[in-house]
Amino acid sequence: MAEPSIEKTTAKKSTETSQKVRPLVKKMYADAHEAQKNGTPTAYSFVASLNDEIMRAMDVTPIWTENYAGLCAAKRDATRFLQKAKSEGYPNDLCTYALCGLGFDAIRKETGEMPLKSPDGGMPLPTMMLGTGMMVCDPRYKWFQSVRRYFDVPYYGYDLMWPAYPCDLKAVRSYYTRYMVDELRGLVAFMEKTIGRKMNWDKLSEVVDLAEKTKKIWWEAYDLRKAVPAPMPSEDAFNTMVPGFMYLGTQTALDFYTELYNEVKTRVDNGTGVIPDEKYRILWANGLPPWHSMMLLNFFESLGAVFPIEVNYRPFEPVEIPAGINDPLERMAIRFIHEWTEWYERADQNTHVPSVELLLHWIDKYKIDGIFMHRSFSCRTVHVGEFNQLNILKKYCDLPQLTLESDMVDVTSYSEEKVKTQITAYIETIDVYKKKHGK
Amino acid sequence: MTTQAKYSGLALAESIYKDRSAMGRELKKSGKHLVGHFLCHVPVEMITASGMVPYLMTGDMRRQTTLVNKHIETIMCSYARSTFNAALEGEYKVLDGLVVHHGCDNIVKLHEIWQGNIQQPYLHFINVPHVVNPASYAFFMEELKTFQKSLEIYTGRKITEADITNAIKLHNKNRGLVRQLYELRKVDPPLLTGAEMTRILVASMTVPVDQANVMLQDVIKDVKARSKQPLPVKYRLMLHGTEIDDSAFMELIEGLGSYVVIDDVNVGTRFFWHDADEEDDPYHALTIRHLDKIRDARTIHPRAGTIEEDLDNRFGHIRQFASDFKVKGVVFFIMRFCDTYGFDAPELKEYLKKAGFPVLVIEDEYNINSIARLNTRIQAFLETIA
Repeated sequence: MAEPSIEKTTAKKSTETSQKVRPLVKKMYADAHEAQKNGTPTAYSFVASLNDEIMRAMDVTPIWTENYAGLCAAKRDATRFLQKAKSEGYPNDLCTYALCGLGFDAIRKETGEMPLKSPDGGMPLPTMMLGTGMMVCDPRYKWFQSVRRYFDVPYYGYDLMWPAYPCDLKAVRSYYTRYMVDELRGLVAFMEKTIGRKMNWDKLSEVVDLAEKTKKIWWEAYDLRKAVPAPMPSEDAFNTMVPGFMYLGTQTALDFYTELYNEVKTRVDNGTGVIPDEKYRILWANGLPPWHSMMLLNFFESLGAVFPIEVNYRPFEPVEIPAGINDPLERMAIRFIHEWTEWYERADQNTHVPSVELLLHWIDKYKIDGIFMHRSFSCRTVHVGEFNQLNILKKYCDLPQLTLESDMVDVTSYSEEKVKTQITAYIETIDVYKKKHGK
Repeated sequence: MTTQAKYSGLALAESIYKDRSAMGRELKKSGKHLVGHFLCHVPVEMITASGMVPYLMTGDMRRQTTLVNKHIETIMCSYARSTFNAALEGEYKVLDGLVVHHGCDNIVKLHEIWQGNIQQPYLHFINVPHVVNPASYAFFMEELKTFQKSLEIYTGRKITEADITNAIKLHNKNRGLVRQLYELRKVDPPLLTGAEMTRILVASMTVPVDQANVMLQDVIKDVKARSKQPLPVKYRLMLHGTEIDDSAFMELIEGLGSYVVIDDVNVGTRFFWHDADEEDDPYHALTIRHLDKIRDARTIHPRAGTIEEDLDNRFGHIRQFASDFKVKGVVFFIMRFCDTYGFDAPELKEYLKKAGFPVLVIEDEYNINSIARLNTRIQAFLETIA
């Protein structure tokens, strides 16, 4: 079935810096094709899996497979891949990032060439695949195991576990960190064997320094978004996350966020908002965005509403690495575990749900008027638990809530007309709420 | 009179299965403390060593899940939703608490949601590596020790290594008895049906392991002494899937003129087939049982040689079961929204077909009304393998 084609699926952005993202996305795939042509190593991989710095230090070009599915969705060219995966026997309700990737690889194997007119030239065959067993996201360790039906390259799976809430962090932190460091050491050893080259540990330390600087300025830039009117909306952030998630450990990413920081700062100093008359500030409280229909965020703006901040694809508050820890892998592990457990102690004192703790903090910090979630039907990792979060949040804060349902990749689950009706009614509810509370 | 005083062997197992809550209440009244667990990766030996009773968490395939809709999205697997629904209905009030292991996204999320909604004094999460690398063993052993500490704090009772070793012996005996029951299904016709087996296993995962062992010994005697043997049927089948803890699905298949003689499911060979080494350090023995011996879709082992050799490494035990138990076909029951088994299904199907075993793949819900509609598909499958 062909996808409904419309002129523009992407959202109109507010910041100039965000305009530089699309060329960076194109460059990612161009770099991967170039690497393949030159015989230098590439890797199918997942973002936010602590492999960025290691790949950059070893001159391995990443191919971010989930994000390629997002690109196909944005180009309204995912359905053929999803259908192919289903015809290969994969259940309909598996992660559509994975189904899109598996369908893509299945077509390539069947035809012996890159699927015709693949967005950005398609994903080249990788030298290796790096899968991650995390606290959540089963597809991240299962998907690449399945890819081996279509081509056979070395695969390495590694665990990235953090302690589940509730727990005695002081008691378990050291052995969780040790496990993560050991797993990363295993990853390095695997990559050394695969590419026939040793890791330059000094270079890795430099890359980790660069990544930490990047994360800091990225966080500082986003922290400025608490200003009223909102200087930068979530539709920009769903673009400006690209350097942080896909170019981490490069000068490109650091330069990008330095520029973004300067631009957002100027906008805040000048009182430049996303829309001229900002009436409602809505928190993107959870959900992978519908990459196939990002223009719907502009629809909110047409009704006077803006998303000043979003939970997904956000930078984390910078982590202080204890003095004397110089092993770059240990620094990475400490940072990662801290990022995923940073709300535990506050949750102990209040809601007993770390994710709700974050929402409450942001509702206050970003002066929020309404709570919004998007539920992608094919992803349990991010979206199961939204009801629970909203139920618990309601006990502490009665702001109007809206959840829209579709999918991050599969456009057939999306009805623009229905969505617009829901949004319009929601904005009216926020308006009533604000008047009632004298806001 | 208690259920165990009233019945023995098969009759006892059937009675426990029919009303697990009543059994739970009886145990509680007699001073036992019950701790719930899911699927197959909670080292139940640790619970036994603490003096408490491991109690299998099941949903209720026969009941509508309405309460859960307020708390959990429909994109979670229906087994997890059904179990939570049962908890909301008060089914698990009898428990002191729950141990959740890192099984899959659904179970991890269930642990998160359980916390604020079901009031129980004890809750613990065990992280189980998804990927088995050299460092994974030491990590899991640390997790076992953290689990031990949490049990000690809750019960106020120190657990010694000897306690764990004794518990391992009891559970090994339990698993050995279950394997004897499987042997009774190797013969043609099998001496007990797949539906009976499910009920026996669920019953044995409801009571303390020493009591389960007495019951299983009697069950074996009862089965061997049956005067009326089951009639021969054309089709001996294997069942592969995740959580099959209600005999309804087996009854549906077996009602169509076949026997399920072997399985690769959680309440089945996955939980019962492999022992922990009684001579080993107990933490290491349990680690080896869970990371190396139990083979399932949620754990990835290092690649073994060529793709074909690696497929043997992943799925060889399933082919071996199919061959040893002389099955004519394999039925997959893949729960909707189960990513781990969903990813494996196409490859496993190809693998088994190549080995000469026809496969029927069913993707469905943990719900009796839903599976009742499968009648025609199963019948058609049986005709194709005739």
